[in-house]
Amino acid sequence: MTLLDTEAAAGTDPAPSRRGGAWRRLLADRSALAALVLVGLLALAALAAPLLTALEGQDPTTFHSRLLDSARGGVPRGALGGISGDHWLGVEPGTGRDVFARVVHGARVSLGVALAATVLELVIGIAIGLAAGLGGRRLDAVLGRVIEIAIAFPSLLLALALMAIVPQSVPRPVLVALAITAVNWGNIARVTRAQAMSLRSREYVDAARLAGARPLRIALREILPGLATPLMVLAALKVPNNIVNEAGLSFLGAGVRPPTPSWGQMLSTSTTWFQTDPAYVIIPGGLLLVTLLAFSLFADGVRRALDPRSVRV
Amino acid sequence: MRLRPFVLLGSALLAATSAVAGCGGGSGSGGGAASDVASDAAFDAKTCQGGTLTVLNQGGLGKFDPATLYTSGGGALPSLVYRTLTTRQRVPGQDGTKPVPDLATDLGTPGDNARTWKYTLRDGLKFEDGTPITSKDVKYGIERSFAPELPGGAPYLHDWLVDGTGYQGPYKGADLKSIETPDDRTIVFKLRAPHGDFPYLATATQFSPVPKARDTGVKYQNAPVSSGPYKVEKYEVGKRLVLVRNTSWSRAVDDQRLACPDRIEITAGLDATVIDQRLSSGSGADAKAITTDTSVGPEQLARVGGDPNLAKRVARGVFGETKYLAFDTTKKPFDDIRVRQAVAYAVNRQSVINAIGGSELASPATTFLPDGKAFGQQPYDYFPAGETGNPAKAKELLAQAGYGNGLTVDLAYPNVDTDGIGPKVAPAVQDALKQAGITVKPKPFSDDDYRNVTGKPSTQPALSLQTWGADWPAGGPFLTPVFDGRQILTGGGNYNLAQLNDPAVNKEIDRINTITDAAQAAPRWGALDATIGKQALVVPLFHPKTVALFGKDVKNAYVDEWRGWYDVSSVSVK
Repeated sequence: MTLLDTEAAAGTDPAPSRRGGAWRRLLADRSALAALVLVGLLALAALAAPLLTALEGQDPTTFHSRLLDSARGGVPRGALGGISGDHWLGVEPGTGRDVFARVVHGARVSLGVALAATVLELVIGIAIGLAAGLGGRRLDAVLGRVIEIAIAFPSLLLALALMAIVPQSVPRPVLVALAITAVNWGNIARVTRAQAMSLRSREYVDAARLAGARPLRIALREILPGLATPLMVLAALKVPNNIVNEAGLSFLGAGVRPPTPSWGQMLSTSTTWFQTDPAYVIIPGGLLLVTLLAFSLFADGVRRALDPRSVRV
Repeated sequence: MRLRPFVLLGSALLAATSAVAGCGGGSGSGGGAASDVASDAAFDAKTCQGGTLTVLNQGGLGKFDPATLYTSGGGALPSLVYRTLTTRQRVPGQDGTKPVPDLATDLGTPGDNARTWKYTLRDGLKFEDGTPITSKDVKYGIERSFAPELPGGAPYLHDWLVDGTGYQGPYKGADLKSIETPDDRTIVFKLRAPHGDFPYLATATQFSPVPKARDTGVKYQNAPVSSGPYKVEKYEVGKRLVLVRNTSWSRAVDDQRLACPDRIEITAGLDATVIDQRLSSGSGADAKAITTDTSVGPEQLARVGGDPNLAKRVARGVFGETKYLAFDTTKKPFDDIRVRQAVAYAVNRQSVINAIGGSELASPATTFLPDGKAFGQQPYDYFPAGETGNPAKAKELLAQAGYGNGLTVDLAYPNVDTDGIGPKVAPAVQDALKQAGITVKPKPFSDDDYRNVTGKPSTQPALSLQTWGADWPAGGPFLTPVFDGRQILTGGGNYNLAQLNDPAVNKEIDRINTITDAAQAAPRWGALDATIGKQALVVPLFHPKTVALFGKDVKNAYVDEWRGWYDVSSVSVK
């Protein structure tokens, strides 16, 4: 998802919403509902990871050397990457660690980091966007440039550099979330700024100002509610974006550290096995695909529900 | 004294240091490496000449000066351009672990209880420009390797030669008094202590001649003067090396190198999987391609095993190396031998081996010396962990040592897998020790820092993953740096991580160093290893193996047992 897509999807037309109807519309949207169920299941699986693995009778770090064919480079014995009653999604080549356990524990890292980064991006983006949009010409000129630089900066490079300079003692998932936030708050700030600028001349805002409300109160009580719709859509699109970012960083070896599992890391180690153990590539790759699809469909549904004019276009 | 482990052309060739051991005289016995000689009825050494050989490598072209290269047995590619006083014997089988004369007429005449070594050069030796090679050129080549501007070579001579310490190379005007050249064909080395292994050391590229008149210092590697069958046509540092025939060389003055291809084009900087793919598909020029640094990866092994056409094009060998867990026996809790034994019982060698690619790429190690007669290995397994570990026995020992409720330790390792002791192996060790109630906290270090941290006793972690490889196939360069008490270097560069200083061990090392017959020295090294092993100072994990593919038109790619790889000077593409 490129930046432009994201912003286009978020819409630029402020539509102070009627949220009761929106929820009903969302539930009536079949693809969005399916996506919501899927996202819910994934989140539940991530939350209940220790429970699920206990149910399976496995854990994500124990090696099973006997399940591997040592003479063939350590590929799992048996079909489909060693899928069996004991190991629901097979075992990892080279180590024999349980793939199901790693996938659900990896979901905690992947989804957790993505959600945390999204929340942080919203907080920073909204704060800076509101300040730029409402703070006057000079502040806007400065913050506008800052936002532009943040957006224009090659994000992956910046994230990699951040991961490299921060001391090893900082917990990696926190660090990954911060690195993703640092390079992704820019477009939230831009959308917020644009919306705030168009809302600030509305009559109800003028009314509040004439009634003597302070700028902070105007920003939070009058402008922010008007931003809810585009920002909710943007946030829903940000989550899958951030899942990809986490996977990308882990894939490049700058994400969470082994033996902590994450989807990006699983993908990274699996790519070289595509010829001899395709199941090991397909499982984390497929999961990532399904998750992204679900989040994107859901975000789409949110947009349609909140902005009835775009329904059935 | 400097100790630098060095990865050359894919094999970790580890530096040993000073008082390294005896063997010699040229009667070294063979290594017991696995070998598959490619059966090749069509190959005939008489008519093998012609064609262009392509070499696809990951690295190894960062330097090409004979003074700065760190090689075992002269190396794969350097040995095509630089002839040395002695060299490894180019034959299949165990005899390949013996040194043979190269520029010299024999393996050297020891004198004064192996404290002096005298060599006589062959007749008819010429540089690529036709000027004769003299013993002074050999001396000059060695002197260059002492220059601080040209670092990187094997450190042995600095310690072995009488006036080696402190010598700053020929550019400062001084020469080495301990190397005498009474005439143009004779060269005599004077050593501080007996070193029966000298003929093995004389295979290093530092023992190749350099004509003083054409020495350009650090720029010499761009246009080195060849003494071997090929000369450098083009050299781009780190990327590409093109070798063409040296017409001043002939098989009449060299009985080791067949030098079949007319032209050899070496490319470095390729990805391991790309090399695997190109060699296995073998299209175009890749049909006449080899690699000298990339073993088939674990991911491709199943495919190689399943395809009879590929299986034919594989050379399987062993380079003498041991990957192991090292304890600092002066630090808690490893000052207690029962804790060290517990770790030795707990390790799961099967899972460690699977982690680095399975039984085709490694064999379990219970001895510090690698397999093979050349090393004199005496099999022992004092703390039998079986294939997958014996956590029950480990727990028992820990309880005796007062750790009945478990134990938490840090495990240091480099954060890359190039040496086979990185992020793949560490979790396997961690998991095995967990079964025995030992909680392992992983402590990864950047590859550059790792040797600095573990090599200094003040910063050395109590438990770390280590690797040791042979500079030549003998027990001396394996045991001396790691277990000689006089080699504990407090300032850095230390490899005696156990901090073992046992007078009996030191004395036996000195005694073996005076033996010039490798066949006699080898069992003594083996016995010494078996004695030291009882103290559980290290936990050997595995000995790596190589599986090297070669293109479908490549012939005579037998495994050279010294290096565990096919020999470039023997292969043919015609």
